[in-house]
Amino acid sequence: MVEMIKEGKIGMLEAYALVTVIIITKVFYTFPLASIKQTGTAAWYSTLISCACAIAFFVLVYLLLKRFPQKDLYQVFEAVLGQKIGRFLVLVFSVYFLYYAGINLSEFVNILKIYCMPLTPQEVLVAGFLIVTAAMAYVGLEGISRVAYILFYLIIAGLVLILLLAIPFYDFHYLKPWFGYGLGVTVKEGILRTSSYDTVIILAIIANSLQGLKNLKRVGLACLLTAGAVFSICLACVLAAFQYTAGGEYISGMNHLSRIIYYSRFFQRVEAIFVFVWVFASVIAVSATFYIALSSYCRVFNITNHRPLLMPFLFLTFAFSSLPKNMAEIIDIYVRFIRGYSLFLIVLAPVLVLLIAMLMGKRGGKASETQ
Amino acid sequence: MKLNKRTFLIKSVALLFICCLALSGCYDAKEIDQEVYALVIGVDKGTGNMIRVTFQVSTYKEGEGGDSGDSDKSSGELSGTVISTVEATSLIESINMLNSASNRQISLSQAKMVVFSEEYAREGVGRYIEPLTRYREVGDLMRVLVCRGRAEDYIMENKSLIGRSLSKDIELSFLQAANTGYYPDVFLNEFYVKLSSPYAQTIATYTAINDFDVLPEDSTEQNTVQPLPDLQPGEIPRKGGNKREMLGTVVFNGDKMVGYLNQNETRFYLLATGKFKRGLFTIDDPKSPGDYIVLNVTAHGVPKVTATFENGVPHIKLKMLIDIEIAAIQNRENYYLNPAAYVELEKYIETYFSSGILDVIEKTQKEWNSDIFEFGKYIAGNFRTIQEFERYGWREHYREAKVEIELNANISRAGYYYHPRPIRSDK
Amino acid sequence: MSGKKNKNIIWRMLELITYKKTNRPKTFVLPEVDEQRPNQQQVSGQQQPPEGGQPSQGQDQRAAQPEDTSQTSEAQQPKQAPAVVVERAGQKRRIPKKPLSASEVRSARKDKDQVKTDVDSNLQVLKQAFHAPENKDLIIREFSLSNKKRGFLAFLDGMTDKNIINEYILKPLLDQENASNSEYKVGMPLEDIVLTDDTQALKTFGEVINNILKGNTAVYVEGLDYILICETIGYEKRGVEAPKTEIVVKGPQEAFSENLRTNITLLRRIIRNKDLVTEFFELGEKSNTTCAIVYLQGLVNPLILKEVKRRLKNIKTDFVVSIGMLEELIEDNPFSLFPTILSTERPDRTAANILEGRVAIILDGNPIVLIVPITLNALMHSAEDASLKWHNTTALRMVRFCAFAIAILLPGFYLALTTFHHEMIPTELLIAIARAKENVPFPTIIEVLLMELGFELIREAGIRIPGIVGNTLGIIGALILGEAAVTANIVSPVLIIIVALTGLSNFALPNYSLAFGIRILRFAFIFAGAILGFFGLALAAVLLTLMLVNLKSFGIPFMSIIAPRTKRGKDIVIRWPLWLQENRPDYLSPRDRQRQPEIARQWTQQNPENS
Repeated sequence: MVEMIKEGKIGMLEAYALVTVIIITKVFYTFPLASIKQTGTAAWYSTLISCACAIAFFVLVYLLLKRFPQKDLYQVFEAVLGQKIGRFLVLVFSVYFLYYAGINLSEFVNILKIYCMPLTPQEVLVAGFLIVTAAMAYVGLEGISRVAYILFYLIIAGLVLILLLAIPFYDFHYLKPWFGYGLGVTVKEGILRTSSYDTVIILAIIANSLQGLKNLKRVGLACLLTAGAVFSICLACVLAAFQYTAGGEYISGMNHLSRIIYYSRFFQRVEAIFVFVWVFASVIAVSATFYIALSSYCRVFNITNHRPLLMPFLFLTFAFSSLPKNMAEIIDIYVRFIRGYSLFLIVLAPVLVLLIAMLMGKRGGKASETQ
Repeated sequence: MKLNKRTFLIKSVALLFICCLALSGCYDAKEIDQEVYALVIGVDKGTGNMIRVTFQVSTYKEGEGGDSGDSDKSSGELSGTVISTVEATSLIESINMLNSASNRQISLSQAKMVVFSEEYAREGVGRYIEPLTRYREVGDLMRVLVCRGRAEDYIMENKSLIGRSLSKDIELSFLQAANTGYYPDVFLNEFYVKLSSPYAQTIATYTAINDFDVLPEDSTEQNTVQPLPDLQPGEIPRKGGNKREMLGTVVFNGDKMVGYLNQNETRFYLLATGKFKRGLFTIDDPKSPGDYIVLNVTAHGVPKVTATFENGVPHIKLKMLIDIEIAAIQNRENYYLNPAAYVELEKYIETYFSSGILDVIEKTQKEWNSDIFEFGKYIAGNFRTIQEFERYGWREHYREAKVEIELNANISRAGYYYHPRPIRSDK
Repeated sequence: MSGKKNKNIIWRMLELITYKKTNRPKTFVLPEVDEQRPNQQQVSGQQQPPEGGQPSQGQDQRAAQPEDTSQTSEAQQPKQAPAVVVERAGQKRRIPKKPLSASEVRSARKDKDQVKTDVDSNLQVLKQAFHAPENKDLIIREFSLSNKKRGFLAFLDGMTDKNIINEYILKPLLDQENASNSEYKVGMPLEDIVLTDDTQALKTFGEVINNILKGNTAVYVEGLDYILICETIGYEKRGVEAPKTEIVVKGPQEAFSENLRTNITLLRRIIRNKDLVTEFFELGEKSNTTCAIVYLQGLVNPLILKEVKRRLKNIKTDFVVSIGMLEELIEDNPFSLFPTILSTERPDRTAANILEGRVAIILDGNPIVLIVPITLNALMHSAEDASLKWHNTTALRMVRFCAFAIAILLPGFYLALTTFHHEMIPTELLIAIARAKENVPFPTIIEVLLMELGFELIREAGIRIPGIVGNTLGIIGALILGEAAVTANIVSPVLIIIVALTGLSNFALPNYSLAFGIRILRFAFIFAGAILGFFGLALAAVLLTLMLVNLKSFGIPFMSIIAPRTKRGKDIVIRWPLWLQENRPDYLSPRDRQRQPEIARQWTQQNPENS
């Protein structure tokens, strides 16, 4: 049986903060670029379509967990698919999360190099970052979620501040024509880009640390709705400031928004302050996915103490982050996989498992649902 | 916690590795005095395919500025700044070359304005504008100007007479755009975005050097000058002060300059696009020809624009409201004593403004076919998808558009006086 | 005579250039272990702890010790383990056994510890325990009663109130002579004769000696099998004075003093509750310092109390003299830069904390009291917070939080800004800084470190200089140093302002230990900012948050209100009005949560009398 490693309990708000930050971080990277390039002026509601699909997916995961009370996702996999296939699936998830962490890290470091520190070698930035990731993963899930809770307010405040301060440059007429590149393209991209929200499955993975299944549902829905709102507003603002032509050109739309803030001769070019906001968000996102990868691996092989495995995993992450050779590869190959096509793994697997469970009539231990 | 040798060794080696970060991580650290900051960038056409780039950088000598006495023309020193020109194939290349001549690195991060010469602008700025936006150092918040004559000569006269700091001068001079409305305030960010935009065309500020020879020495010439003469920058009749002058708007079609609007037309343009803040207008007094009324005009909100297609012809309707305060009436008669007279004056003002704006729009349509009024934004609402909109190609169809204006003027205040008294003399 | 004189002069001159043997006294050198002679142990009072250089073989032999009952021949002497002769590689080395600790000695002597029934042997025990002929502090007063019974008084000079001994112990005892026709009977128990308020009958010498050490008097009369201890404590101590560090304007001006009993009394005057309990512990094996914990029974969470007692009981160390040492011995994480225990010298603050469900730890000889468990916001509250109006307090707290942020971040921020992110600085300021730095040869980080070092030196020097001179010198020194440094082009002027602001913010923090922790943290941020700019600062900030979130203070997470989220009290950052603070802090899980009903100001709900 895949056992739980001692992860302790985390509260609702902390779980909400953690998962929301993991999902939202991508808005500081190339998410606006990719979205606007594909869907044009319809980007802001295409992401809402993705959000709706993600909510539907989350409800399916919730139903799956409800059939097996007091088990989290990995234990359900094992219960339905049998030990070997179940564990293999968990291993695949672990590799996927590690890959996610590595590619996110490389994207972050590249954007940092472009916007902030062009001369520092990439390895130095990655090494500095990984030291902090190691410290966070050493402490474990409780520590990461508490740090996420504290820094969540700062991140949201920073995001809102960027959006508000750039108001003089917005012109919402640039959101017309309303249908972007056509309704078909919008809906198709919308459904594909559900992959941007699929890290909400982390909630299902740490289900035993949350306090009850009802809480899981509430937290998950709140996360998805917040993330959807944030993405939609950010995309609308980037479109309003830069039009769909230039918006589809700038590598990181949010950073460019922070570059055009100008209130008087004193208050201009303040984009360096927002470095704090992205770094906080990135550290939390990468550490959390790294930790989930680590703990998933430990659960496959019944290892109770994850700390000795930190060093090998750090090396692996470093290797993943050195995979892409340049920014173009990142955007077109790696990130496109994560945010475009990963739904075939993350979304499809639990849905298939649910179908199999329903067909084969498997249910969990207690018939009554616990709180 | 036992600290035996082995743990100690491992920990100290790990710490040593981390300390290596300190040694290798300072690539980006630059002291402030390692760099010089270019405040103004000027771009001229050079020989052949090259461009001539002029940089005005601020120096760090103490206790000076404002004296033009000690400036050494050949080394380009000018009141606290140094001006240097270099010819190269592109902007970044020019920085590189200058770096090998100057003893500190030139940084563009504090550049306040970029000046293109008119000759260069008419050929197209697109090829060389890219480093300004792609390169990280340059902020998106530079202003874009086009100057008459050579940018080099323009920059050579760019000095600050009032205070020590040139950058403050430059920044404050752009605030005057909001005070008078005689020239627009264009940021590089907007300029660049609109270059590739299907909705509109871009503009820049028009500027020049005034050699102080326009002011006629004697006032014997009795030409009746209209109340608001159409002037080009460099032609304001004045003497003394800074030679640099900004007046008017440069109109681009694509990336080529095709024409300019003078200062009055600029104000109508700004009113129509909702960027006008406030300004003083002098108009003929309808009741007593030869005298003028001066109005303090503020725009009340952004104009509402509706754009529809009728039989394939775009129809655009503008609705605006302006707020007027009477600043001066040269004729001190009590013409405008009662509300009815105000209404009459309002109607007169409305016709004045509407016709002015329509004239400007027509000029852009007929002469240049350049939609600087951004009506494309509103037209886009009539299309469903981007492909349709781009296929339609608003930029070509601009000249077919029919524009109507509904303008409401509202005289709200008249300053201190309600009843001006006539001036009595012995007659 | 003249020859002698001549001789003297000539000899004197010769003596200048000749060699002479001089008589220099030998300096004291602690002999090495193997030079120790075996008969040294007979000399009482000379314990020579073995020096380091012992071969590790001897350690096993020394490990199992306590039965030196073989040693106790006739005299109960202070135990000196005899030297053990060990043959090692042909060399005979004497390795003395490790001396026994006081507790071992005590436990070894249990059976020899009982009070005897004759005066002389008891006297002998006491004299030898205190090394009496050499140690002049022990005073023995022998007497004989009217029924010809002998007895003695034993006390330590200086620790007792002589008045009480004379009037209330000696006088009634010796007054028997003149009271032969009074109602005193000869066979009365000793407790009824001696007139002190607190007496104890003890049968073991260990306890008797402890009580004599505290300042009580031991009374023994022949024939009894116990020694009577009378309470006569009366040593010199400092009175209750105004607080030195936590000064308030609008509040009581009493602070704790060194005497344990006085401190507990000060608390009792504020909390007149029968449930206020004091428990005593003895800490330190050689110093036997008394430590008391004070709490409100029925309010405090029993688990917290148990943990405090457990930690205090299980400290094994030599001496615990200062409160800082105690804090280090019982705190959760000795490596953390932030203190997890609050120390205060005001009784009113201590009382407020006890009434919220915390435990106060008082150490004899220290005017500072420890309060456990606490959270981060307790470190940012000052003593005056409860006395001022709530908006004033809230504004002051905002200032303190700003000071906290500035004290940690400002130099690192300035460094990162001027070396990595020049574009953020407004152009005029940038040019001005560049002009000032033209003449300065050092890079910014060296300037910052120099100025910080200078400032720390001024602070340290200011502490050592006595009196008023210290304050003046500190201020003037800082000003002159700064001015001179700028004029000499060693630092740029902006940096003086930065360093001064940082120093001021450090002083604005209400907790002394917290200010120290932040001084160290500031340097970490300076290095982070110098290496990687804002990225480094952000990473360092995340690490700091992680460290804070992991701290625990006696079982309660240090950042308790924020993470994990417990019920928000009404006194964290914004201090709500007193009549709205209805609940005690949730994270302490006190037995009784509600401290006042929903409407505390009941007079607002009633009609006034005259309306």
